[in-house]
Amino acid sequence: MYRYDEFDAALVRERIAEFSDQVDRRSSGALTEDEFKPLRLMNGVYLQLHAYMLRVAVPYGVISSRQMRRLAHVARTYDKGYGHFTTRTNIQFNWPALQDLPAILSDLAEVEMHAIQTSGNCIRNVTTDVFAGVAADEIEDPRPWCEIVRQWSTIHPEFSFLPRKFKIAIVGAPKDRAAVRTHDVGLQIVRGEDGQTAFRVFVGGGQGRLPHIAQEIAPAVPGQSLLAYLTAILRAYNLLGRRDNIHKARIKILVAAIGIDAFRDEVERQFAILRQEDLRIPDEELARIQAYFTPPPFADLPATSPAYDAARRLNPEFARFTRSNLREHKQAGYGAVIVSLKPIGGVPGDITAAQMDVVADLAARFSFHEVRASYEQNLVLPHVRLEDVHAVWSRLREAGLATANADLATDIIACPGLDYCSLANARSIPVAQALSHQLADAALLEKLGPVRINISGCINACGHHHVGHIGVLGVDRKGEEYYQITVGGSPDEQAALGEIVGRSLPAEEVAPAIARALDRYLEIRNDGELFIDTVRRLGADPFRTAIYELTDAAA
Amino acid sequence: MQLLEQVQDGVRLSVSTPEEDVRAAATANDSLILEFEAFRDGRGFSLAAVLRGLGYRGRLIAAGKVLPDQARHLRRCGFDAVELSPGADPAPWRRMDQVFSAAYQPASGDDRLVWRQRHTNPDAALAARLNAQWGQAAAEDLLRAVLDPALERKAAVISSFGAEAAVLLHLISRVRPDLPVVFLETGQHFFQTLAYRRELTERLGLTDVRDIKPEAAALSKADPRGDLWRSAPDACCTIRKVQPLAQALAGFDTRITGRKRYQNSHRAALEPFEAADGVLTVNPLAAWSADQTETWLRDHQLPRHPLVEQGYPSIGCWPCTRAVETGENARDGRWAGQEKTECGIHERALAPAC
Repeated sequence: MYRYDEFDAALVRERIAEFSDQVDRRSSGALTEDEFKPLRLMNGVYLQLHAYMLRVAVPYGVISSRQMRRLAHVARTYDKGYGHFTTRTNIQFNWPALQDLPAILSDLAEVEMHAIQTSGNCIRNVTTDVFAGVAADEIEDPRPWCEIVRQWSTIHPEFSFLPRKFKIAIVGAPKDRAAVRTHDVGLQIVRGEDGQTAFRVFVGGGQGRLPHIAQEIAPAVPGQSLLAYLTAILRAYNLLGRRDNIHKARIKILVAAIGIDAFRDEVERQFAILRQEDLRIPDEELARIQAYFTPPPFADLPATSPAYDAARRLNPEFARFTRSNLREHKQAGYGAVIVSLKPIGGVPGDITAAQMDVVADLAARFSFHEVRASYEQNLVLPHVRLEDVHAVWSRLREAGLATANADLATDIIACPGLDYCSLANARSIPVAQALSHQLADAALLEKLGPVRINISGCINACGHHHVGHIGVLGVDRKGEEYYQITVGGSPDEQAALGEIVGRSLPAEEVAPAIARALDRYLEIRNDGELFIDTVRRLGADPFRTAIYELTDAAA
Repeated sequence: MQLLEQVQDGVRLSVSTPEEDVRAAATANDSLILEFEAFRDGRGFSLAAVLRGLGYRGRLIAAGKVLPDQARHLRRCGFDAVELSPGADPAPWRRMDQVFSAAYQPASGDDRLVWRQRHTNPDAALAARLNAQWGQAAAEDLLRAVLDPALERKAAVISSFGAEAAVLLHLISRVRPDLPVVFLETGQHFFQTLAYRRELTERLGLTDVRDIKPEAAALSKADPRGDLWRSAPDACCTIRKVQPLAQALAGFDTRITGRKRYQNSHRAALEPFEAADGVLTVNPLAAWSADQTETWLRDHQLPRHPLVEQGYPSIGCWPCTRAVETGENARDGRWAGQEKTECGIHERALAPAC
């Protein structure tokens, strides 16, 4: 993984000095709260319902054991002993005291971590495929490009006061495991006509109040021109994006308003006049960054492990875990283990300090010191020998991290909702917990197969409900928490927005209604057909009927 | 960037002006004032960048609602000056403009691009940062800073095992006793120096002291009788010190020396961290005085070089070292009567007390 050199380290330290100066000027009254707010947000500091919240960046989801231990230390020392992984693969701490923030940031800086641009109207943490460097279908590892974009976007002089936040995701495979089409800019690595790295560029995706799936703006931008092309997109957006209405300020609204072709013309006009030679990534810099992402020293192993196979035969619970939470690795004899942060009845994405230490230890021992955070709010140990998977599972199980539900119905993506968030209309966590209990039966889960359920506590859609196979959105109905259900959303290369099935339901009816929809799926699916494919084949109607069945009968 | 306390005359456009109108105004005027109506409205940054990208050479002034925290954004997007609002304190503007020592993005008139620095002389930037951050720190902290595993430096200590060598070696023994210590075994040392090398190594528990000898073939060719020092002391130093040291230190990117500013006028401006020729040189004792050195040796009961009490405050090879008289500088006993003051291993920004 990438390691800081003195420039990266200096920048993070200087950022802390800058922020301290800003805090001092806020205290003295030299900065008003209105002026201070965007500065604090660009350093990851939110004012939530009950306390300040600090969102720490995990660039493209890659964490070392050492960093994970430091996160545990922060949770233990400055917070209430836990943290929360987000759908931007960041981690947030919900209870830090304002006066501890400089100390926390210094502690993080020691392990090359920071909270820069985890909020605010700037370019946010770039995300990628959690299986980058692992998946066999990869054309090229996207992480070096993520690092290039991270550096370019950090403390950008021109793009720190955009109309609204700006999110970029990059994938290196045709299979989209980073939901690139729900991003302001989505990048997919392709081979250019010259055989070199190029990027298929999507623009104008986004969720929130007015969700849009991103549209293709360029089929193959050469890697060397990537930063120039991104600059042109951002410049066009910065000049033309709406600033009069926060709900219409994202790039998706601009692209939808003028149309993708007019927007493309605007980007190409900017691209033509900017000084591209300055933004061409020097070969030696690309090589320097790529060197950090060369594969770890894998052992030469056979494709199968007798010990692993025997453990699967002997232990049905372990076998189930491997079926749901182990992913294939391009290196023979290795697999990627998904660490579930979705225990039955738990808070999706939450992890205690002790659990962080367990994951850090396992990564150090079994996965070349590397952990990944996924946008699904789980963690991944990316490089585990098959023969070690049983030992990893045993330790995860002791720590409550081995729920066999990766990509299954209880692998629920949820925002913090009204329990923490000042924007929320309704709580997300209790609904997720109820659903998790309702669907807890492991055999049922496995029978249902991959189902993505997403819950957001408000229209800002931090829980990505629009692109959940089943989406749940909290709404405020005359002071009461109600939930709107959507069906048929999808975040992947067949990205689609879910369809609202009908009127919203009170909290206690959500889990049973979803359970009925899933039962209906089991009745009507073709052999081997996934939930989302059944929805695509039959539309939302059968599920609508199931969802409202009982409530209609009662009414 | 210039801070203007007066309201400026000239063409004044809001940052909400369409790009083409701003461009038209720029073709007709050699000075433009762009007025920010809200500090959150970042259009002004892009307008300036567009104009500079198109080659506009006129003066660009930012005005209106801008924060000191945006000083560097303005400058790096191409603004020359900012019109401060009445009564604004210019101090935070200056501070915030200079808060970052480098930037990731290429920008108008800015040579502090990280990419460029990374691939020209990366050690210079490191040295600058370490001097800024640790320059005033205690010698031991300074050593720990440069030996931080995160920096991934490959470091070696150069020691003459001379009059004051015990201080640096003592600090090394407290921080990293396994660090390689290079001793130039010229073959012409006082026997007391060789005895002291053994005593000090054992006493401090240093585990990797390396005796570096001149190459035998080169020596027999250039100095068969061992008296080259009489006729050509520079050549003697080259063959006995400079060349062997260069070979011994191949593969190390960081050299730690015990040099101090007070030792001679050439060392008066010595920085704790220096960079040259792809090597970082660390001088943890640069700022130490002779008294401070003496106090340290005494307080920690470190063994002294046997020749010190005989009046040798700086000790090299026997032919070129003599005791000094009262009133002379410490290194006046080295190459006495000659112009020569250094053996040459430091001339390339390297090496210790010769």
